[in-house]
Amino acid sequence: MGAYLQPDTLDEALGILAREPVTIAAGCTDLFAATESQSLNGTVLDVTRIEGLRRIAKDATGWRIGAASTWSDVIAADLPPAFDMLKQAAREVGSVQIQNAGTVAGNICNASPAADGVPPLLSLDAHVEIGAKGGPREVPLAEFLTAPRATVLMPGEMVTAIRIPDVSDKGESRFSKLGARKYLVISIVMVAARLHVQDGFVRDIALSVGACGPVATRLAALEEALRGTPLAGLPDRLQPDLIASALTPITDMRASDEYRREAAVHLLRRVLDDLTLMRSPV
Amino acid sequence: MTLSISLSVNGESLNVPLEDTRTTLLDLLREHIGLTGTKKGCDRGQCGACTVLLDGKRINACLTLAASVDGTDVTTIEGLAQGDTLHPVQAAFIEHDGFQCGYCTTGQIMSAVGLLSEGDAGADPERIREGMSGNICRCAAYPGITAAVLDAERRQSESEGTSV
Repeated sequence: MGAYLQPDTLDEALGILAREPVTIAAGCTDLFAATESQSLNGTVLDVTRIEGLRRIAKDATGWRIGAASTWSDVIAADLPPAFDMLKQAAREVGSVQIQNAGTVAGNICNASPAADGVPPLLSLDAHVEIGAKGGPREVPLAEFLTAPRATVLMPGEMVTAIRIPDVSDKGESRFSKLGARKYLVISIVMVAARLHVQDGFVRDIALSVGACGPVATRLAALEEALRGTPLAGLPDRLQPDLIASALTPITDMRASDEYRREAAVHLLRRVLDDLTLMRSPV
Repeated sequence: MTLSISLSVNGESLNVPLEDTRTTLLDLLREHIGLTGTKKGCDRGQCGACTVLLDGKRINACLTLAASVDGTDVTTIEGLAQGDTLHPVQAAFIEHDGFQCGYCTTGQIMSAVGLLSEGDAGADPERIREGMSGNICRCAAYPGITAAVLDAERRQSESEGTSV
């Protein structure tokens, strides 16, 4: 049997990572589903007891979600409305039992094309803070995820936090997930939208779609077309061709590629309807 | 190499040797400690039959490495009743017929206890259904389960109201 290590400090954890290959464990909600064999080979590095790693806080440059923070921690955290989409996603990750154990950082490291955390984090311009004995580095989430189940994380490295720059914590946001049923389900399509309105015009907009390609994606061309336009009638200006050209959905047991393409447009319209109505004068 | 962990189960302090780092909390409870009230349904986090409280929060014992619970406080179905007096959630499940075959029931009850202590479902049946969505019942006793949790919630808030 391999060792089970539960370091108290990040330095200690990075030292272990530099020394030997390990399986990093946090909430373990995906580790088990991914481990078919009856024994975990080699050393397990449990990062949940590292001091300071389970903190969600704001500093001078933005927000920092520590790598051991669970989905329930996100739901309970006092965060601006721009994070509402992340909280909505958190409440649809599995069940409360899963949300109490599973971590946001684990969700992105697992790198499922249907990871619920990724679209909201993309729409928050999230960066991934990576620790290693040689020193930390930070990469945009969009570059961190390279393919299904693949990230840029190198041996000897671990994710230490997810960072949201404070320029991106503006506006209101919505998340919507389509599944075969409401709860405890893998997404067919999901969208996350953040809308920053100033004087009746779209000052900034961030739109992301998940489960419609190898990794979730921002709709940069559509965002560009919508920036600076009036809030009134915004959902009607969603251009299906600009959505379709950004997506590469597959056909699988859950849905066909055509269905996913069409569903993405409807979900985007719904969340923008919701965000627009919320802002309309009563 | 043998690993040894210390934990409290239903208030009793235990020291358990582990031969495999992959042993789950569920197998630890059932096979090593002999508490079989926590059930193994799917063994992959989809059914909720293995729900227990870990430091007061509900989790799936089948997805939890036993090695990770060193120093924690675990509550299982066996720890709810006070002698012959059932926990209010247990009593409500009996009163409202919140089960048929009973296999998922211990997980349902532990999940409901966790839900009530989270304190944000209130008396809204839809929020209770959402909060209980991690517990599947193959007999589909859902109406009785929702009624039982609603009733337990009502009793809990009444008793909290009178004690203030």
